[in-house]
Amino acid sequence: MAERKKRLDKGILVSALVITGLIFFSGFFIGYNLNTEKLSVVKNDITAVTKDIQNFQLEFLLLDVLGENSTCPLLSSTLSDINERSEKIGTRLDKLSPDSEIKDYASYVDMKREYSRLLIGYWLLANKFKNACESNVSTIIYFYAKECDGCGDQSFVLTYLKRQYNETLLIFALDADLDEPGIKTVKEYYNVTAYPTLVVNGIVWSGFQKTEDLQSQLVK
Amino acid sequence: MALPIYILAINYVAWFVFMFIAVVWIIVMLNNRGKTDRTRAFKKLPVVSIMIPAYNEEKTIRKTIESVLSLDYPKNLLDVIVINDCSKDGTRKIAEEFAGRGDIRLLNNEPNRGKAYSLNRALKICRGEFAACIDADSIVEAPIVRKLLPYFYDETVGSVTPALKVWRKESLLERVQYAEYILNIFLRKMLSFLDSIHVTPGVFSMYRLSVLKEVGGFDEDNLTEDMEMALKIHEHGYKIESNLDAMSYTMCPTKWGELYRQRLRWYRGAIENMAKYKHMLFNPEYGNLGMFFLPTNLIAIASIIAVFASTAYSYMDSATNAVWRLSLINFDFLSLFGKIDLAMTLEELMTTSFALGVAGIALGGYLLLTSFRSVGVKMRGNIVGYLLYLLMFPFIMMTFWSAAIVHEVAGARKKW
Repeated sequence: MAERKKRLDKGILVSALVITGLIFFSGFFIGYNLNTEKLSVVKNDITAVTKDIQNFQLEFLLLDVLGENSTCPLLSSTLSDINERSEKIGTRLDKLSPDSEIKDYASYVDMKREYSRLLIGYWLLANKFKNACESNVSTIIYFYAKECDGCGDQSFVLTYLKRQYNETLLIFALDADLDEPGIKTVKEYYNVTAYPTLVVNGIVWSGFQKTEDLQSQLVK
Repeated sequence: MALPIYILAINYVAWFVFMFIAVVWIIVMLNNRGKTDRTRAFKKLPVVSIMIPAYNEEKTIRKTIESVLSLDYPKNLLDVIVINDCSKDGTRKIAEEFAGRGDIRLLNNEPNRGKAYSLNRALKICRGEFAACIDADSIVEAPIVRKLLPYFYDETVGSVTPALKVWRKESLLERVQYAEYILNIFLRKMLSFLDSIHVTPGVFSMYRLSVLKEVGGFDEDNLTEDMEMALKIHEHGYKIESNLDAMSYTMCPTKWGELYRQRLRWYRGAIENMAKYKHMLFNPEYGNLGMFFLPTNLIAIASIIAVFASTAYSYMDSATNAVWRLSLINFDFLSLFGKIDLAMTLEELMTTSFALGVAGIALGGYLLLTSFRSVGVKMRGNIVGYLLYLLMFPFIMMTFWSAAIVHEVAGARKKW
């Protein structure tokens, strides 16, 4: 037997550990910065949609002056712009959900609240538009929460319907867990206690709603 | 789709382990770049025994024997022994042809006793100071003995491994394995710098005969006696070296079924040997082998299994979920493939996981590239093989490893 200890290159092993650690740290650092970037993109989008909504409100005033025939097409096109923009924000916020590696949770929540306020304002205006221009647009308010068994399925069904109906269906998804006065007010108004709850064209439906049931409620 | 936190954690740990191992290789490579090996040619050439165990290799054994007989080494110093392990085909007849001419000595087993037994039997009658084993379906380049011997000038060297390549690279499977073997040649060289070579491949690894006898020959109960031999040699305090330049060639599995059986045997053998030599784990007496290579190997295997299991589970989960969801919309598949927003998809991709994934693949790619360059092989003819190797092979091996663990745990019968 050759009595020797086997070589142990502690230096190499430790350096490698440190380097790998640095690589990982950089990865997380990059991820964190990317998320901050994404949040600022959402912020810009929210600013843009807020402006759109202000325009929408201004255009409403024109109704009295110029009458329905001139104003309604204009209102309708602004509404679809708002619709598109608002959808994008919603998707972006979803993807930045707390499950992923987001660290700046406070900013994220603030943004969600701002977005909810925006949605409520948008919903009110959409209703006004429906009545004033006698359009066949349908609105659905969708209340969801963390402790909610049917919410995943409901979101899926709603996304599907949105693709089917496009601009004739406007969906307003409100996170019932958010500490936001606007949401609380609407919840109380419609007496929302369980989730999911849908308000389809003003009518409250509690619990998960099937595709066929919803389709029968929506204007063709 | 956000992954549950525990799956994310498992993946991160596994990725960390693999990147750590890759970084070690790169550091070792950079440290040893341009250094010459510690070798010195023998003034007086010694006798070298070459053992060729064979079982039903009538198609290839002639080529093997001829390749050995054509070695660039004095004929009187070559001691070639063929061990026919009770073959049912024409192997014996072919061997007897050479034996008749006095080129080789022939041993016949009755009944079939396995490779390790055959080698041990041959060891008893070896005339050489050094011995090499070669499978009866492999060949070697003529200068190989002269290339391997000088490493034995250092008396503490117990064995030297050659550069083992795949002989034929026609099918896709062969090309992928070709890339794998090239990477392994390089890694064995890196391991030699750390004195942590854990396998002496049975295709012309050369041993010091006294060491083989000292460690008690090959383990006849083992699935992978060549791995066990390497660990045994370390245990007795000897070094194992490697020559990047000494070529030997072997046939590799051409069908998936064959590959599966081969890897199952290898990986089960690895698990068994790891268990047998667990006293080496985290034992500073065994240097880099005990403190780095064996433990990280173990952790790597465990992570592979964890990742495989968790990924399989999450995919099954999503799959059942997907089917349920589709039922809610009356299986209107096509609606799911709406307009794809490229900008959004790219945005979604930019995460920590993606950054780390890219880093890992970059490291792996760099290693693969370096190994090809060190072994002096051109990439051009085999680009598809390499890319596939880098991306696809690891996942396939994951499933084989899982199968091996299942087999070991279930105590399945050992089968060649």
